[in-house]
Amino acid sequence: MTPTDEELVVAFQSGDIPAFDQLVRRWDRKIQGVIYRIVGNHDEARDLSQEAFLKAYRALGTFKQEARFSSWLYQIAINATRDRLRRRRRRNDLSLDDVEERAETSLRDAGPSALDLIESNDLSRVVAAAMAALPEEQREVVILKEYQGLTFPEIAETLDVPLSTVKTRLYRGLGQLRVRLERQGIHGGAAVPVPSA
Amino acid sequence: MDCDAIRDDMLDVLYGEGGEAALRRVEAHQAGCADCRRELASLRRVRGDLAHWRLPEGLGARPAAAAPPRRLPVGLAAAAAVVLAATAALAFSGAELRYDAAGFSLRLGRASESTALADLERRHREEMAALRAELASVRAPDDQQTLRTVAAMIHESEARQDEARLASLRVLQQRAETQRQYDLARMSAGLSYLDGKAGLQAARTTELVGHLLQASQQK
Repeated sequence: MTPTDEELVVAFQSGDIPAFDQLVRRWDRKIQGVIYRIVGNHDEARDLSQEAFLKAYRALGTFKQEARFSSWLYQIAINATRDRLRRRRRRNDLSLDDVEERAETSLRDAGPSALDLIESNDLSRVVAAAMAALPEEQREVVILKEYQGLTFPEIAETLDVPLSTVKTRLYRGLGQLRVRLERQGIHGGAAVPVPSA
Repeated sequence: MDCDAIRDDMLDVLYGEGGEAALRRVEAHQAGCADCRRELASLRRVRGDLAHWRLPEGLGARPAAAAPPRRLPVGLAAAAAVVLAATAALAFSGAELRYDAAGFSLRLGRASESTALADLERRHREEMAALRAELASVRAPDDQQTLRTVAAMIHESEARQDEARLASLRVLQQRAETQRQYDLARMSAGLSYLDGKAGLQAARTTELVGHLLQASQQK
C-alpha cells in the first residue's frame, strides 16, 4: 500500500532519509507547476522548486503535523516565489538602465499580438498573459484553486489567511480575468459542467 | 438574501464544494435573480477559458494527470519472466502451484514425472529466493545516494547564490562608476562656470578702468 505523506514524514523524522525522496518524487511536478504559473519562467520554476525542497528538507525534522504536509510544502514554495519576485522588483527599482533594457527586450520578444494568438488558436498564451496581469495575491489563489485543485480550506491553510479572504480574492481574480479575456474577444469558451454537489 | 451574501455559496457551487445546502440556497436565490444566474454562467465560462492554459513540456502536470508508467528493473523483470515460465511449465505438466498461509507449495500432477518436477520445484524455490533477494535490494534504503543528491542540491544552490551576489556587485560597481563620472562632470562644469564668472568680472573691471581713464583724460 502506498504510504501517505504524513506516514512518510513520520518515517523521515524517525531517520528514514529515503522517505524524503518519495515525497520529492510525489510533489516535484505539482510544485514546479504552481511556481511556473506564478513566475511564468521554466528555468526559474525548476530553480525555485529545488530551493523549496531544500528548505523543506532542512525544516522537515521539526515539522509538526498540525497542518497538512501538502499545505506546508505549497507554503514554502509560494514564499520562496514571493521572495524571488520581491527581489526582482527591487532590482528593477534600483536601476533605470535595467528597466529600459527589460522594456526593450519585452518589446523585442513580444511576439504575435493577441489577435494573432486567437487566430492561431493559442488560447493558452492569452490566458497566461491575462493571469500574469492579475495582482499577485489573486493570482496565487486562482492558481491554487483552478490548476492545483486545492479546496478552499486547504488554500486558506496554505496562504495562512481566513477562508473569506480566499473567496474574496478568488472572486475578484475571476472577475478581472473575465474582463481581460473579454477585452481580447475570447470569453465564451466551453463552460465547465455544473457540479452535482 | 441579497446578491453579495450569496457570493460565497456561489463559489462553492462553482467548484462543487458546498454540498446540497449551498446548492439549494443558490438555486433559491437565482430563481428570482437573473443577474446572479448570468454571473454564475459567466464564471463557468471563465473557468472553461482558464482550462486552456497548459504547462510547457517537461514541467509539472495537473494533479489529475496520470502518473508515468513505471518500469521494472531489468534483473527483476528477468526473474519475473523466469517465474512465469516455470509456472507455465508446471501447469503444462499437470502440477499445481499453490500459495497459502504456509507459503508456496507444489502438488505434482503425474507420479511418473515426480523426479523431474522435484527438480523443477527446487529450481523454482531458488528462483523465488533470488526474486525475494532482488526485491529486498530494490527496497533497501540508499541513504548515501540521498545524501549525495541533497549535497549536490545544496552545492548548486550555493553556486547560484554566489552568482547572484557577483551580479549584484557588478551592478553596484557599475552604478558607482557612473555616479563618479557624473560627479566629475558636475565639478568640471562648476569650475568652468566659476572661470567664466571670474573672466566676466575681470572684463567688466577692465572696462570700468578704461572708462575712468577716459573720464580723467577728458577733465
